[in-house]
Amino acid sequence: MNATELVPPGQRRPTSAATFVEVQALTKTYGAIRALKGVNIAFRRGEVHGLVGANGAGKSTLVRSLAGLEQPDSGSIRIDGVETQIPNPSAATKLGLAFIHQELNLVETFTASQNIMLGSHEGAALAYRRIDGVHPTARTVATMLGIDFRLDRPVARLTVHQKWLVSIARALVHDCRLIAMDEPTASLGAEESARLLKVARDLADHGVAVLFISHRLDEVLELCDRVTAFRDGGVSATMQRPEATRRRLVEAIVGHEAAPSRPASRVANDDRPVVLEVSDVRRGRALTGATLQLREGELLGIAGLVGSGRTELARAIFGADRIDSGTMRLFGRPYAPRSITDGIRHRIGLVSEERRAEALFLDLSVTGNLYVNTWRKHRIRFTPFTSSRRAERQAAEVSQELGVVLRQGGVRQPIGGLSGGNQQKVVIGRWLQTEPAVLLLDEPTRGVDIGARDEIYRRIRSFARAGMSVIVISSEFEELLECDRVVVMSAGATVGELTGASITVKDMLRLCYHWPESGS
Amino acid sequence: MTSTVTAHAGPAADTGRRALGFFASYGTLIVLGAMILGFGIARPVEFLSERNLINVLNQSALLAIVAGGLTYVLVAGQFDLSFANVISFSGILCVGLMERSGLPVPLAIGGALLAAILVGVVNGFLVAYVRIHAIVATLATSTVLLGLNFLYSNGAPITLGEGGFTEIARARPAGIPIPVIAMAAILVILWLVLNRTLLGHHLQATGSNAVAARLAGVEVGRVTLAAFVAVAVCAAICGVLLSSRIGSGMVTAGDGFLLSAFAAAFLGASVIRDGQFHILGTFVGVLIVSIAGNGLAILGAQSYVLYLVQGLVLLAAVALSTTSRRVLGRQRP
Repeated sequence: MNATELVPPGQRRPTSAATFVEVQALTKTYGAIRALKGVNIAFRRGEVHGLVGANGAGKSTLVRSLAGLEQPDSGSIRIDGVETQIPNPSAATKLGLAFIHQELNLVETFTASQNIMLGSHEGAALAYRRIDGVHPTARTVATMLGIDFRLDRPVARLTVHQKWLVSIARALVHDCRLIAMDEPTASLGAEESARLLKVARDLADHGVAVLFISHRLDEVLELCDRVTAFRDGGVSATMQRPEATRRRLVEAIVGHEAAPSRPASRVANDDRPVVLEVSDVRRGRALTGATLQLREGELLGIAGLVGSGRTELARAIFGADRIDSGTMRLFGRPYAPRSITDGIRHRIGLVSEERRAEALFLDLSVTGNLYVNTWRKHRIRFTPFTSSRRAERQAAEVSQELGVVLRQGGVRQPIGGLSGGNQQKVVIGRWLQTEPAVLLLDEPTRGVDIGARDEIYRRIRSFARAGMSVIVISSEFEELLECDRVVVMSAGATVGELTGASITVKDMLRLCYHWPESGS
Repeated sequence: MTSTVTAHAGPAADTGRRALGFFASYGTLIVLGAMILGFGIARPVEFLSERNLINVLNQSALLAIVAGGLTYVLVAGQFDLSFANVISFSGILCVGLMERSGLPVPLAIGGALLAAILVGVVNGFLVAYVRIHAIVATLATSTVLLGLNFLYSNGAPITLGEGGFTEIARARPAGIPIPVIAMAAILVILWLVLNRTLLGHHLQATGSNAVAARLAGVEVGRVTLAAFVAVAVCAAICGVLLSSRIGSGMVTAGDGFLLSAFAAAFLGASVIRDGQFHILGTFVGVLIVSIAGNGLAILGAQSYVLYLVQGLVLLAAVALSTTSRRVLGRQRP
């Protein structure tokens, strides 16, 4: 890249590896959960700084605090040595901090050039702007990034890799001095990933502080000058490039103390019949070979990091997505669901990960939410009509059994007024009404308070005792200790299985990061 | 009930919220009551007479039938702009089948209803399966219908000769006009189907969250199609009754219903359940629209006053219910 002269407008020259952002003793608590426990970290100009850690270890809360999306409870953020508050995202932009997430905020119908210039306040609002062609500033920045595709085409026609470059270019136009990239290579192939890593390196060489958040340790080791590992809301290790090795990183992420296993309720189901068999199921890039067996009355956990394909696998089993190849068998017979209705007919249920978007009818009553797909149970005989009185009476009973705390209004109140945990119990109750043979629960405790969490798992366990086969997907690996068996997924494939006493958080993480060695 | 959500607000703020919640839920009913009271005090003899009250209901009947059907489409989270031309179309077709083809009355009515079902199926298919935005799809079918109306009628009203057909809208068994009886029957059926059948429950779920409905196994496409058929059938019934009342089938017969039906349904959405469409609410909305027209006419107001009042009341009701929904909704955990 012969771009030494093409420094973007307003870009400061690299001074040295001087500290740009310094975070001291940052804490953040959500209810009873301490997401950040006094984090100290510094980001320097001209340095690529890798952030690694399991889901919920604290790295995203840190980044959100810097982006102005969260307000820390205590601690300080210093920028160029000056203590600074970042009340909202636009303040972060003004300070020269740019954040690029997986959901790239691009206007799909605008050209790459328009997207790069979007939000830059050059000229008056009503000044005439050409919509064709390429803005000179956009051109300059694009050259610097080594962009070789046309900037006058709509972004919708670009690949994911190219969209990332457009997002980075926009950040540079905004005069940014720190770019945080959250899982930039998650949906890229090997060659595209390599090119993006090179761009990140070039940015650092131009004096930008780069934050590189990734689960792919190989890339982190290859790219980063410094790596900080997070565990349980705190920094567990910071290493410079030469001393960072895969082994040390995994140890820092996983920790030494083995989390206490909870074998009390664990059951061996080896002698029970296999209910569901999944063999080498593939779908696009998301599922690249998933294989598992589920036995009757078993509580099976699927552990995996973001992008590991766990949700996609659940959707494929449920019939929400078609699979490209592979086979599934249900009760020994070939099973290839054509639709969700077909999946439900085969007695499969799915409690979705996105409760608000994919499960709740916020303005319908608790009754309406509970019986949305089982109203036929309440049909009055010989008529097409359903009995609301009967439905409400039974909804009240079911709510009580599930431990749903109803406020004023009982089962008639809109479900939007209940707490997350109670909403989730109703959604689980909905699927129990369909009497499923296999119940899939995707992140069943997301947005649920700790008390309700334990209760939900107690009930899931009791469903399994009653003979239902249950699959629980969670990125809170502690929760999966409840399971009889845990299958680990990584990069769209099942990569390992843990049973009995070998089910530990440490081993789940190890498998996620492809670190097969056991013992510490 | 929404006001109980606020646990830590001060007493003043709490009272404010409670008041807002109350007006959001009952404001529209208060407006209806105030209108009846106001017109009753201003013109007790003319307005409150039994004859006039039956007259108001008779005037409301056709609007209530089509607005009830429209409510189904709105509950499903969709939109329909074609029902006004379905009204005209079914009137023209019904009268035309009798006058030109010499069909007996029941067959002509049946023909008009069948044609309307077809329109509903086409609308529903375009929206639910071809995935055209409902406004665009129904605007297009509406325009096609307009063309068909001109084609069939040559642009001139098709007038009825002598016959029993005009009696349908005029007959008054037990003193109650047939349109009012039809309205009551249709609203009861619409209410029952929406609130007490599988189809109705699935309609509400689809409108509330189509993604969640699909993932719960609701056949979202079929349900949406059914809603479009419902509004088309209601529009056809409205059109047949209208042509019987005016004694002819006209291209412009249904035009006036487009805005009034939407006004009634949206007014109705702010009755009791803030922001949700429901049959009872739509009926209240229809009454507000009709009583405003009737009362203002008795007071001798010119027609522009009616439009001003109708527009402003609609704005006020919808603004109140959406504001309260936002303010109170923010308090939810």
